[in-house]
Amino acid sequence: MKKICIFLYSIAGLVVSSCNDQLELRPYQSIDNELALTSDANIKKVLSGAYDELSSYQLYGGNIMLLSEMLSANREIRWQGTYNQPDEVYSKTIFVNNTYTTGIWTQAYKVINSCNNILSAIDVVDEGDRDRVQGEALFLRGALYFELVKFYGLPYAAGSTTTNLGVPIVLTPTTEITEEHNLTRATVEAVYQQALADLTAAEGLLPTSNGFYATRIAASAMLSRVYLQMEDFANARDAANRAIQVAEEEGMQLVGNYANAFNNTENTSEDIFAMQVSAQDGDNYMHMFYSVPDYGGRDGDIVVLPAHLALYEAGDARRGLFYLYGDESRVGKWRDQYRNVKVIRLAELYLTRAEANFRLGTAVGDTPLGDLTRIRSRVNLETEAGDVTLAFILRERKLELAHEGHTIHDVKRTRGSILDSPAGSTTVFEFDSPRMVFPIPQREMDANENLVQNPGYGQ
Amino acid sequence: MMVKLRSMLAILLVFMGYVGHAQQKTITGTVYDAENQPLSGASVAVRGTNVNTLTNEAGQYSIVAATGQVLVFSYVGFQSEERTVDQSNTVNVTMAAAFSDLDEVVVVGYGTTSRAYLTGNVASVKSEDIANVPVPNFTQALQGRMSGVFVESSSGKVGEGVKVRIRGTTSVSGGNSPLYVIDGIPMTTSGTLGYSNPLTDINPNDIETFEVLKDASAAAIYGARGANGVVLITTKSGAAGRTKINASFQRGYSDPTRLKEWLNAEEYVELFLEAGENVDDREFVENRLNQYSGHSDWRTGETDTDWQDQAFNSDAGMHIVNLSATGGNEKTQFYFGGTLDKTKGILIRNDLEKISGRLNLTHHASDYFTLGANFALTRIETNRLPGDNAFSNPIQLVALAPITPVRDLNGELYDRPTTTYYNNLVDSENAQWGITSFRNISNAFGELKLSKNFKLRSEFGIDLLTQNQEQFFGSRTQSGESTDGYAASAWTRIFNYTTNNYLTYNTVVNDVHYIEAVGGMSFQKSAINYTNVTGEQFPTDDLRTIASAADITGGSSTLNDFSFLSYFARANYRFADKYLFTLSGRFDGSSRFGQNNKYGFFPAASAGWIVSGEDFFENNVMNFLKLKASYGLTGNAEIGNYDSFGLYGATSYGQEAGLSPSQIPNPDLEWEKTAQFDAGIEFGFFNNRLSGEVDYYHKATTDLLLNVPVPSTSGYLEQTQNIGEMSNKGVEVTLNGAIVQTDGFQWNSSINFARNVNRVEALGGGDILTPNSRFLNSVIVGQPIGVFYGAAYVGADPANGDALWYADEARTTTTNDHNAAARVVLGNPNPDWIAGFNNSFAYKGIDLSFLFQSVYGNQIYEGGGGYYAAAGDWFDNQSRDQLRRWQNPNDITDVPQARLGEGNGTQASSRYMSDGSYLRLKTLTIGYNFPTAWLQRLKVSSARVFLVGQNLLTFTDYKGWDPEVNTDYLGADNQSTNLYQGNDFYSAPQARTFSFGVNIGF
Repeated sequence: MKKICIFLYSIAGLVVSSCNDQLELRPYQSIDNELALTSDANIKKVLSGAYDELSSYQLYGGNIMLLSEMLSANREIRWQGTYNQPDEVYSKTIFVNNTYTTGIWTQAYKVINSCNNILSAIDVVDEGDRDRVQGEALFLRGALYFELVKFYGLPYAAGSTTTNLGVPIVLTPTTEITEEHNLTRATVEAVYQQALADLTAAEGLLPTSNGFYATRIAASAMLSRVYLQMEDFANARDAANRAIQVAEEEGMQLVGNYANAFNNTENTSEDIFAMQVSAQDGDNYMHMFYSVPDYGGRDGDIVVLPAHLALYEAGDARRGLFYLYGDESRVGKWRDQYRNVKVIRLAELYLTRAEANFRLGTAVGDTPLGDLTRIRSRVNLETEAGDVTLAFILRERKLELAHEGHTIHDVKRTRGSILDSPAGSTTVFEFDSPRMVFPIPQREMDANENLVQNPGYGQ
Repeated sequence: MMVKLRSMLAILLVFMGYVGHAQQKTITGTVYDAENQPLSGASVAVRGTNVNTLTNEAGQYSIVAATGQVLVFSYVGFQSEERTVDQSNTVNVTMAAAFSDLDEVVVVGYGTTSRAYLTGNVASVKSEDIANVPVPNFTQALQGRMSGVFVESSSGKVGEGVKVRIRGTTSVSGGNSPLYVIDGIPMTTSGTLGYSNPLTDINPNDIETFEVLKDASAAAIYGARGANGVVLITTKSGAAGRTKINASFQRGYSDPTRLKEWLNAEEYVELFLEAGENVDDREFVENRLNQYSGHSDWRTGETDTDWQDQAFNSDAGMHIVNLSATGGNEKTQFYFGGTLDKTKGILIRNDLEKISGRLNLTHHASDYFTLGANFALTRIETNRLPGDNAFSNPIQLVALAPITPVRDLNGELYDRPTTTYYNNLVDSENAQWGITSFRNISNAFGELKLSKNFKLRSEFGIDLLTQNQEQFFGSRTQSGESTDGYAASAWTRIFNYTTNNYLTYNTVVNDVHYIEAVGGMSFQKSAINYTNVTGEQFPTDDLRTIASAADITGGSSTLNDFSFLSYFARANYRFADKYLFTLSGRFDGSSRFGQNNKYGFFPAASAGWIVSGEDFFENNVMNFLKLKASYGLTGNAEIGNYDSFGLYGATSYGQEAGLSPSQIPNPDLEWEKTAQFDAGIEFGFFNNRLSGEVDYYHKATTDLLLNVPVPSTSGYLEQTQNIGEMSNKGVEVTLNGAIVQTDGFQWNSSINFARNVNRVEALGGGDILTPNSRFLNSVIVGQPIGVFYGAAYVGADPANGDALWYADEARTTTTNDHNAAARVVLGNPNPDWIAGFNNSFAYKGIDLSFLFQSVYGNQIYEGGGGYYAAAGDWFDNQSRDQLRRWQNPNDITDVPQARLGEGNGTQASSRYMSDGSYLRLKTLTIGYNFPTAWLQRLKVSSARVFLVGQNLLTFTDYKGWDPEVNTDYLGADNQSTNLYQGNDFYSAPQARTFSFGVNIGF
């Protein structure tokens, strides 16, 4: 009996003494934040992590383009899905809690924080790779400030850029949450300048080829977008021209057949920057919403309407890419599942160079006719010198880049307008309509008292 | 050796009133019930000693005692009797049925007590009260039976979520479910695959009692995890005597409690043509009607499909077979229980088969040492369904057009684009989705009587849960059509072990000072391993395991764990059986908390006064009166396992590994604390024929475990902090009456009622407004948690049929712009009160009982309303009330003009909220016990046939399916679970079940 007693007591004793250590449990799927930035290898992994964040559905994995498309629906496409988030953007009645518009904001700053972490520890990176790593982090940060200011601020073309509000600018990594994180919104001008600074620096640091990661070509291309949006046509032209020259030196060119430029599992010869998607990894929300069940899409949520199809000239190969589901047309560019999401194609740069050259009466790199011929001959269309007007170039740009998220930003910079989505509506949204600017996410307004909401969203 | 030890202890304890044995003799006798039938298995004990025995089959006993000692006779359901041993060697006793539960033994943490001496608040349900209630999960059977215990099944899906809240909700971001402890071992209640509910694994027939510890005095012994209340489950144990075998068979039939009415084909065509005309697009609608009609013609009305009907099984119901045996001798007792429960859910593709066995053994090795072990193994196989929001949820079939035939002319199911959405009947033919769970809940204990006063008990228990989910979606299904099939296989194992070691001391000094103390330690650790793999591209739909997938598209394995180390103590002091005091406390440490706050201390104190024990209390009417009060601190630790750390997680991009910041550190993270005050009165009238209890409580929760939103410009979304306050105040009433007690006829009645007022007192940052624009739940300071907050709907503008909302909070002006509508508190998903009313009648061999259960004062929000109650906004079939749409100027109606695709009034607003109050005939039982004469002929000891109905009648004004509802898909984490209350989103109604069965004892 006593033996049992001793036995029980000793068990109890053992249990007690060993248990204290058992309260020190660490996660198995995560590492301590202090370890992440201490070595060259780890910092490079954080960079890869930043691309992964960037490739999420909230950013270049789909929603940056998807919501752009919803803004520019213009009775050329119809949203008929059950998800209310794209629907609200489609009908320009965006709820302040819309999880998609919220997600662009929160996820972009997540990437920016990763970039800021990398930049803060850049000295730890091996010297041979340091420029590249720094350049990539700056590219990602600059590109996202540009995307953010386009969605959350009034267009640059609306003027008053030094007083209109953009988004907060964060350039240092977060180690703890303090009052200092209650930032105010920088002006539209300040955010554009930050994007230009980051992308210009990135262009100088990045290599001309870098696998599917950001290259000097991508930085030049993104710079040309920023300048174009600012209507700085000379800089836009030169940046596009630099991108084209390096791309051509690297052997890049337009894919022979327009249809083959889409639905790719690997980057094509005209992909300057694309999000990598496979069955194992990556989001493609453009496919999810544009495609139909037979191809793994959700429910054929986006229909192409006759008004859009009527824009194509007879024989335009791009018209042939649309396909029917039921009796309605769908976008072939996003038909197949597990395909890369295009962010920048070479074709865009020819169109940018053509437009800028045309506006400035120059022929840097090539004439507008030469660049347009490149684009149009591929889709079996003839181009004559007499055709080339600004409207012609802009229409060509719209059709070549249709359903890739460009149209709304072109409408805004060219001071155009968008028809309200319902067929019977008489409402027209001008380029600077507050209804086409996203609300500052409600969760952000709640968390940070120093933010000012955009007009039309309460407060 | 033992003798030595005993005498040493005896010497030590002399000063505590240890008295040596006096003259011993053997007493014999027989114990009878009121009808003079011998009672077998009644307990006979010598008060103040460890000497006890049980009566045999003839009701006879034999026990050794000394003259002057007191024999205590007790038996469940009877009033205890006491006899002082005098000259006689024979003591016969007749026991009267107990009208009240005051004498019953109540299990509290790490011990038991008598209900009369309890100073805390503990509600109990005995197994016989819920015998044969045809539900797969025992918590469902408890609904309406205990005051202050709110039980809600999320839907009619089998084996899934059941929400249990004890005295309201205390946390915003932490868990609010009670702690479940089975035979002293905290159970695993989360972390399982899908929506499967780990409590379904328990066989209700194996359970002796459920006790719910509600106030701080009762729950503080479970310290850091007591704030949400504690459910103690005690499984059955054997009794010495003849082996009793009990077998039962039960067969039930189920159908949905309520259905919704939908447009038929003619009405559908009419509404949608009108909706098209109103937006100048009739042609588009006609094209769509052509598309949706398949081979038939919508103009002739040849097809009129009732899609709602397709979602339900025509042969839902269950078979339950149960077998148990108890018995043993004075040294060893056993209980064996086994069950087979096959339940076919009311929804298609949803069923459950449970097989379980349990063996509980107790062995008295000597007068001083008892050991025992409980071993239970359960297997559950479920065919499960996706979340309510999936197109493949059977209820979502209601969205399909009534003009669409189910099958084409070749007999194949129609699918998109002929059907409006995915025709999930394809899943019935071309998919399978099963979960198999194995659950082993076992424990072993040893109990050593160190002396008359000291007892050491050591327990070690494991709860091992292993689950495997196999999903296959064939080449015709929504999930597999683009990839030649899709399959997923997942395994999880949750290993949860606990050891409790504690010392109990009790003594009686001078017959008036009763002292009991318990102290000890407990350690628990739980780890979840999870592995999954997914694959696509199957050669044929007949090959369904991942081995046949040509493309492995994903896989993962993870490990998560937590631990608790605790020291606890409790002391009860009772003076003269009138003045009661309890002090308890627990010192808890957990791996979940920050480096700076690993441990917390949770004390409680309570006192009671049995007024009826006083000499001045001379009352012929009232025979029992007790006043009691308690105050104490309990905690809540239900947060993520690693929320205090600063972390980077692994990512992959383009098949290359990466790291990504995932969590900002909070080394100060600590327990959420609930201080609870409880004051109560217990009473008995007419010799306890009418008894009851009334309690008032106030729970104040501080240092809320709150996921505080931080500016996302930091790169992070939130940080778990201890900030904010919440309160719950309430009143609970329980009344029990033995209304008629005659020889032939008995009528017992009980009522329980609970009102709880929940209020969010403070939050760290701003209010938490609904993050999902389809729903309205928000957390707002000064309001109950999860209130519906948004635009107040007015109705259709009589002038033009526009949907209107109030533009201002005072509700004086209106607007047709939803974004311009004032946001106001519209309703509350938390009920004002809950109640249960139970009656049982017995006449000769016939018994009848019924339980009404009610929930009152809450609202329910139909999240699907924006699709199906949208006046033809899109081609979803509409609920029939949409025929009330505005059509002509000056029409006064709550349904706006039908306008295809314009979202006229479809946004979230009070339009889709309705009263969720209901009164339900929860359980109705009618039974007949065969008379003894027949039994003898049949050579059985008992035989009973019974009918049991569940959810037979429901009275409610709710506009949706069933008012007992909360959609399953929104509760991705604790905070979402707490926030999204009272929502219906194509959620299956509850099952209404009618069953009959037979119960035979041998």
